[in-house]
Amino acid sequence: MKLPLTYNLRSVTIRWRSTLATVLCTALVVAVYVVIQSLAVGLEKSSGNTGDPRNLLVIRRGATAESTSQITPEQYRIIRYFKGIERDATGMPLASSDLSLVINVPRMQGGEANAIVRGVSPLGAKLRPQVRLTAGRWFTPGKREVIVSERLAARLAGMQIGESFKTGPATLTVVGQFDGDRSAFDSEIWMDVNEARSIFDRENFSSVLLRPVDDAAREEIIRQLDGDKRFKLRGLPEELYYLEQTGAVKLIKILGNFLAATMSIGAVFAAMNTMYAAVGARTREIGTLRVLGYRRKTILAGILIEGAFLALLGGAIGCALSFFFNGWSVGTLSFETFSESVFDFRITPKLVAQGLAFSIVVGLVGSLLPAIRAARLPVISALKAT
Amino acid sequence: MSLGGFILKNALRNKRRSFLTAGSVAISMFLFVTLQVALREMTIPPEDVSASLRIAVRNKISLANTLPARQLPAISRLPGVAVITPFTFFGGKFKDDDSLGFAQFGVDPEKFLRLFGEAKIPADQLAEWKKTRDSCIVGKDTAKRYGLKIGDRVTLVGTIFPVDLELKIAGIYEGTIDDTNMWFHHKYLDEAMNNWGKVGMWWLKAENAGVVPDLLRRINAEFASTSAEVRAETERAFQMSFVSMWGNISLLINSICTVVVFTLALVTASTMSMAIRERFRELAVLKALGFRRRQLVACILAESLGLALAGALIGVGGAAILFSSGKFSFFPVFELTPRIAGLAFLIGGLLGVIAMLAPARSVSRMSVVQGLKTLD
Repeated sequence: MKLPLTYNLRSVTIRWRSTLATVLCTALVVAVYVVIQSLAVGLEKSSGNTGDPRNLLVIRRGATAESTSQITPEQYRIIRYFKGIERDATGMPLASSDLSLVINVPRMQGGEANAIVRGVSPLGAKLRPQVRLTAGRWFTPGKREVIVSERLAARLAGMQIGESFKTGPATLTVVGQFDGDRSAFDSEIWMDVNEARSIFDRENFSSVLLRPVDDAAREEIIRQLDGDKRFKLRGLPEELYYLEQTGAVKLIKILGNFLAATMSIGAVFAAMNTMYAAVGARTREIGTLRVLGYRRKTILAGILIEGAFLALLGGAIGCALSFFFNGWSVGTLSFETFSESVFDFRITPKLVAQGLAFSIVVGLVGSLLPAIRAARLPVISALKAT
Repeated sequence: MSLGGFILKNALRNKRRSFLTAGSVAISMFLFVTLQVALREMTIPPEDVSASLRIAVRNKISLANTLPARQLPAISRLPGVAVITPFTFFGGKFKDDDSLGFAQFGVDPEKFLRLFGEAKIPADQLAEWKKTRDSCIVGKDTAKRYGLKIGDRVTLVGTIFPVDLELKIAGIYEGTIDDTNMWFHHKYLDEAMNNWGKVGMWWLKAENAGVVPDLLRRINAEFASTSAEVRAETERAFQMSFVSMWGNISLLINSICTVVVFTLALVTASTMSMAIRERFRELAVLKALGFRRRQLVACILAESLGLALAGALIGVGGAAILFSSGKFSFFPVFELTPRIAGLAFLIGGLLGVIAMLAPARSVSRMSVVQGLKTLD
């Protein structure tokens, strides 16, 4: 005989005080889990969303980031005239030599941040269509001008259009802001590459970005770079390079899992308390059900469902709570570039599903022992219970 | 039965519930303590004894920019400089590590011990290191982790530098706050880089604390408006500049701590009120026997506080044991300070008090007749 589900579901609301505590407790645990994982997802998405699938990035072999890579002007001249690189309308190869370096900039709320300055050549912008100017104008080479990502400008002091900041021997003026389309470029300041080389006293470039005509040409260029022992350079798809820049993701995930695991024990305790109390208070009711012919198994399943429902309710509230964070942008240290990287909390359907599943598990584990106890109650003494 | 015994009996009458209550307090306090310790490591780096005399000089643009080696004589001759060494972070990968397992620095071996006096190393090993240009010394924690012995040869694959370094281990040191670093001859790196002529930073030690502010000012002024302007700061200030880089992460951890404590308050409060409500009848009997309202409330308070503090003791104690075992070596020093432990106990105690407020109120309000009638 099946126990009507409504019996268990309605029982949940009877002891509302402890039920509420359990629901809220599960809600908070699930919210913490979802929020922290969404941080990892946001960082992954920002890295995964960077680059153009047609582009190839060339960096020094062994370098883990552009900022620690070096390419000499001679190497650039050779690479630029490799076969199989697309050309623009004027016949110039679509290749850009960039300089990437880290500078200290004051933060809006005090303290200092490391920010990436990218020196780009005129073709560099064409190769990165993700970057769109949203305010002001493009920098003029030679005029000590820069453009800044909107999202970075919101975090740093002196980065609004018309303001200027001092770094090294130069004072740079912000003349425009851009949107990086939620990519790693959202953490950058851009200026002319040769101007950057002279200001920061760098003879070499950091990287070369180029666009092969097709996949075969791309493979050929990668092979050519690998084969040339003098070069000590490595070519890889631009998208792949940014995908690898996610060392912090691992750390955030570890933090998230550690918190979820530990806090869930607390939530299980809370659920257990509530369910034990629920079973204790309903001893006579359960005895009656048994007399009516309900099987032990049915009672067990009923209590389990009750616990799972309770926790699921909490899980749903938790997921709803976590949506307050969705899209909120944060910045923290990137381990690869040693600079501030800006990204968002991203709550995905998958994360919500994980959060809900997690809450059901908490509910089931928490109500298992009380359910067994309820199922084992001897009928006669249960009926006698006050 | 004494009053104390009565309270104890009451607290343990439903052993399962007492365990669950104390257990949830314990877990939350464990989390709280762990997060706070991690946050402290991130925001207030540990400090060596002689750190107050040490000065770090780096390129003003950012730490990632180098300084010309020719700055050395200009800084050395400033009054108050006791000792100075080049100091370059190599950032090499060791073996199959996919990330940097430990830090390696190029320094002047002749000056190293005078600068970092807390490092203990046998005299013969130190002499061997000073003598051999391609040798290095390594902290005992790293030596243990990778099973390195004196005489071993190691290769560091450069990630920042376009060269790999082959080094022979001349000695193993200990006694600093972070015994994980590797130190090698700066000259060796310079040669590997074809007479590079640059350094990552300068580290120096002042003759006494009094000259430090003046020295900082003089170093900064010395290179103002040159092609390589510098920023000189105390070791402490230098470390603190890293803190700011963490960005929003510290705020995030603090928010999590708050949520954890709040969640716990909910659980404990609901359990306590459950425990009290189920013995309303008994409490009514006690009242009928002539116990005063204040005494009953005191009983409940003692029980609630006792359970919460027992939980806090387990949580904080567990954390203390775990951290001191060194298995939790995410940070070089994972130290549970008395302040954090005290804070955890304070929160635990407060929870105990908050949890008993609602039940105590209903107990003191109930009339004897009402209480005796209670069934549940």
